[in-house]
Amino acid sequence: MSPWAGRTMPGCFSMTRRFGRWLVGLPPTLFLLLFFVAPSLIMIVASFRLAGEYGGLAPLVEHGRWQLTLETYRFFFSDFIYVEIFIRSFSVALATTLICVLLAYPLAWLIARSPKKHQDLMVLLAVLPFASNFLIRVYAWMIILGPQAAVARALNSLLAMFGFEPVTLLFSPFAVLVGMVYVHLPFMILPLYTNLARHDPALLDAAQDLGANAWQRFWEVTWPLSLPGIYAGSVLVFIPVLGMFAIPDILGGTGDILIGNVIKEQFLGTRDWPFGATLSLMLTLAVLACAGLAAWLARRGVGRHA
Amino acid sequence: MRLLALLLLGLSSSLHAADVLHLYNWNNYISDATVARFEAACRCRLVQDYYSDNEEMLAKLAAGASGYDLIVPTGNAVEALIRSQQLRPLDKRLLPKLNNIDPAYLDTAFDPGNRYSVPYAYTITLIGYNVEKLRELGLPTDTWAMIFEPKYLVKLKGRVTVLDSQRELMAAALKYLGYSVNDTDEAHWRRARDLILRAKPYWAAFNASSYIKELTVGNIWLAHGYSSDMFQAQQDAKQAGRPFTISYAIPKEGAVLALDSMVIHKSGPRPDLAHQFIDFMLDGHNSAELTNLIGSGNPNRAALQYIDPAIAANRAVFPTPDILQRLEMLRDLDRNQRRVLSRIWMEIKMR
Repeated sequence: MSPWAGRTMPGCFSMTRRFGRWLVGLPPTLFLLLFFVAPSLIMIVASFRLAGEYGGLAPLVEHGRWQLTLETYRFFFSDFIYVEIFIRSFSVALATTLICVLLAYPLAWLIARSPKKHQDLMVLLAVLPFASNFLIRVYAWMIILGPQAAVARALNSLLAMFGFEPVTLLFSPFAVLVGMVYVHLPFMILPLYTNLARHDPALLDAAQDLGANAWQRFWEVTWPLSLPGIYAGSVLVFIPVLGMFAIPDILGGTGDILIGNVIKEQFLGTRDWPFGATLSLMLTLAVLACAGLAAWLARRGVGRHA
Repeated sequence: MRLLALLLLGLSSSLHAADVLHLYNWNNYISDATVARFEAACRCRLVQDYYSDNEEMLAKLAAGASGYDLIVPTGNAVEALIRSQQLRPLDKRLLPKLNNIDPAYLDTAFDPGNRYSVPYAYTITLIGYNVEKLRELGLPTDTWAMIFEPKYLVKLKGRVTVLDSQRELMAAALKYLGYSVNDTDEAHWRRARDLILRAKPYWAAFNASSYIKELTVGNIWLAHGYSSDMFQAQQDAKQAGRPFTISYAIPKEGAVLALDSMVIHKSGPRPDLAHQFIDFMLDGHNSAELTNLIGSGNPNRAALQYIDPAIAANRAVFPTPDILQRLEMLRDLDRNQRRVLSRIWMEIKMR
């Protein structure tokens, strides 16, 4: 409910208010229309069209007949492999998100509890990696995880001491996960920090006065209050990871492709725009379904803690 | 009066400055010295834009990029550009040096009669290897079995990379199985897929370009890749003073030859300068400069005398006629074949 609903207000003021709200809401609405709804519509149409022989799309009307087909959808559902890669991509996105929560939570908590004068610096440090190019940072992991690097050598000599076979870190699902977590971690830290910094310390004092121990104070007070921050961070991590193709490309081994790689391949290597559009629509639908589920869970969660 | 002359002079030189030839080229695919000489000869500016694979270039053109006078695509991409009517026919009266080109590289399947394309350089997709390591392991180096046969691969586990390219890897597998690289029989594709899947556990990665570095530092001992990349790895290893050498060889089963040709795009405003550039690059000296820079194959007979003797003697760059017969150029696939191949490729990547 909006804060002014139910109050009695002079009509014209309410009108201005409504106009103002409309005016403020206009740019984001336009933005969504222009950059989400319109492209999605283009994709929907493209998914029913025929691929041009040499990339692009075949003409919509040829010899006086509409060239539209359900072929891409038939192809998608004709083999379980496409569902399989969706499942795999969602698993990687979920794992990345969970690890990001685990790593970001203590850090965000630490920043939020630090003296005010240090907070800005710490936040700056958390986002500082953005100052260098994304690809360079991912390439750096190639060096860090490479077989000649100290990490792999130390790990393998440790493994050898216990009689285990040496492992390769680079070009593996592990390397992909490391890259994903590393790149997306700041997106989890920031919303969590913003959320945690706003918590009223008086609540914790009150809980303590009422006899809650440290764990109870965290689990009964801080954690539920921080859920919106976790949800926001999760969305910011989960969705980009789903579409990511560069990290599996660079750090992944011979079997680590994700749906992002497959979609990219349709538009570049295979020059099959309609099928690429279909895959990408399926991904959008799946993401929307996830977002819906998350929103529903969040509402239930809020309801429980209210 | 003098002032007027100066003014006119200034005007004419600024007119010259507006003479610009737009070349859409592979990365590092012309030497700086050649560019400088061409700019002096034509009194124009050569502006380059780069791509790193044909698909990227085709995708960019399909998305409406324009203004390129000249492009240097590989054969199958030339075919795609011809069929989609994006190219301007050549005016051969403007290309007197055209007969410098070895007839073996003219009149190709992708452009019969060379109406649109003039060969520029070629690369061969082959096997690069660490000479000392392979000798130590007692392994052969001139067969695709090296990347497909588990009995060899057990000694090389995690030390082999293959190209991250549907067509190239399938071509190698098809060749090894005795088929043409342009075979489109789905049953043959599935046999090639099974061959690849059997070998895959031994490979370190599918790789597009970093195999150059990996070979040079010694992480990788065997790589499926392009002859010009192997040349670079060889040079880099030599310059870095590594205790090993990199060499490369064409597998005896045959391989893919990628012939890159100069074509004139319709969207380019300066076909005149484009013709001038093509004829300039047909000159033996200019053409040889590229080969000396990147170790690419050279279809220009007049270039041979200017080419570094070490490169000219390299049978993986200038194959014997016997091997040349077993090299094939990739043809483009139609949309349905592309979609099916893409699914096979995905299976290869996921299993």
